[in-house]
Amino acid sequence: MRKLVLNLRLFIDGALLSYIALFRWLQPHTYLASKVVMPLAQILFFTLMGIFASGPGNAAFYAIGNAIHLASINGIYGVTMSIGGDRWSGALPYIFGTPANRLVLFSGRAFFHVLDGMLGVIMGLAWGVLLFGLDLSQADLGALALTILITTFSTSGLGLLLGCVSLVSIETMFVNNTFYFLLLAFSGANIPLTEMPGWMQSVGWALPLTRGIAASRQLIAGSTLAEVAPLLAGEFLLGGLYILLGYSLFRWFEFQAKRRGTLEAF
Amino acid sequence: MKPGLWRQHLRAGLAAFEVTLRINAPDSFVLFTIVVQPLIIAIMAMWMLVERGAANALYVVVGSGMTGLWSTLLFLGGNSINWERWTGTLELMVGQPTPVAVIVFGKNAAVVFQSLLSMVASYTVAAILFRQPLSVEQPLLFAVSLLLTMVAFVSFGLVIAPLFLLSPAVQHFQNAIEFPIYMLGGFLFPIALLPGWTTPFSYLLAPFWAARALHGASTGGASLEELAFDWGMMLLLGAIYLLISGRLIERMLRKARSEATLRLE
Repeated sequence: MRKLVLNLRLFIDGALLSYIALFRWLQPHTYLASKVVMPLAQILFFTLMGIFASGPGNAAFYAIGNAIHLASINGIYGVTMSIGGDRWSGALPYIFGTPANRLVLFSGRAFFHVLDGMLGVIMGLAWGVLLFGLDLSQADLGALALTILITTFSTSGLGLLLGCVSLVSIETMFVNNTFYFLLLAFSGANIPLTEMPGWMQSVGWALPLTRGIAASRQLIAGSTLAEVAPLLAGEFLLGGLYILLGYSLFRWFEFQAKRRGTLEAF
Repeated sequence: MKPGLWRQHLRAGLAAFEVTLRINAPDSFVLFTIVVQPLIIAIMAMWMLVERGAANALYVVVGSGMTGLWSTLLFLGGNSINWERWTGTLELMVGQPTPVAVIVFGKNAAVVFQSLLSMVASYTVAAILFRQPLSVEQPLLFAVSLLLTMVAFVSFGLVIAPLFLLSPAVQHFQNAIEFPIYMLGGFLFPIALLPGWTTPFSYLLAPFWAARALHGASTGGASLEELAFDWGMMLLLGAIYLLISGRLIERMLRKARSEATLRLE
């Protein structure tokens, strides 16, 4: 029992401190620029391009896709920077030196980004309602909230995996930026999956977001939670798989770093 | 200005151009901005616009290329003075006899020159991946438009570089102003889709006139008179940007020399 309480404290304290540290460094106006203005501009750009391509009747398709895609701002950039930040700030030797439960410590880095990512997606949908008349009247809002939660969770899973890459590479931003844009192209946010060639569809289904975006569109169109449950289950399992992969890499890097004495080698 | 001084400035500007090319060549962020991002945008635009018949492939090639041109200018050109501050060479740059504007012009020219690769990347996507027939309708007029686009972009870079240095608050919004210029510039869709009140902002941006000229010359949709007007606007705005840039750089130098607060901002 005591161990459980200790791990819970470690999880919450680690999650909170990691999040505060990230945004203390980033400053509030950076938060405003990257979490409010940039997402709005991105939604506007792709939705207007979609309207130019296929008429205003399809605005909802692009507004929803790009709003849900905003989960990757926190999921990819936030989580990766939280994990990589330990290396850049010189905290990694202390972390690897503690007896703390690694899984609790590792997954805690993503916790607040899941919540913040949800807020970002909700803001994105609100922009869709305000600017493109996105109609949420048919949507089961509870089910939509659950979809957003699961999607931000799975995207953060990918972020944890990419965060591990940032422990051994200096090309973190290149990797993050590339994945961010690949998700825009492959997740079905802007191109219907059915119009893509088979190999692109396979890549899309192997990435987080794809099922979450599909489920969100269905829910907003009036589907029930039961109807989108398979998509949500898939999204959740995929997120779990990415976390497991990331955690395995994290442990392997720790082992290698200790064995070779290359803990902070760049 | 004496001819000897011109030669000195030209040599310094070319040296800044060359050094910037060499520094940027192995940089992965440069690779992302110039090649990867425009390439992914081109792939999406090909599906969204060309496959549905809203635009032809050349329109997408030019538009996606311009997104690369702008993003590169924004992140690399915009930080061209800040970069000196981060590496501790800003004081040396403002203290030497060559005008700072000459150095920044050389650096931005290198960045804009490199970013032309964006169009090559978009062209490759359209030609190879999507097997689209691509031929520029008015090659000579397109070449003139491209040359003037480069001049206009470099001049625009001369405004944003000192602005980002003097106002960190503006620089914090660097990421946030990437997509708005894609839209206001009409790179991949007409500005008519935007609310009417944004049109004057488009007219004040050289990238808008550059996109008009390049789209018009590549697809053959613009007459010589229309293109001449676009070129004139690029030159006029370029001149205005240079005037504004002169004021900003003057202020920057005052901070450096009189107040000694340049590095502290």
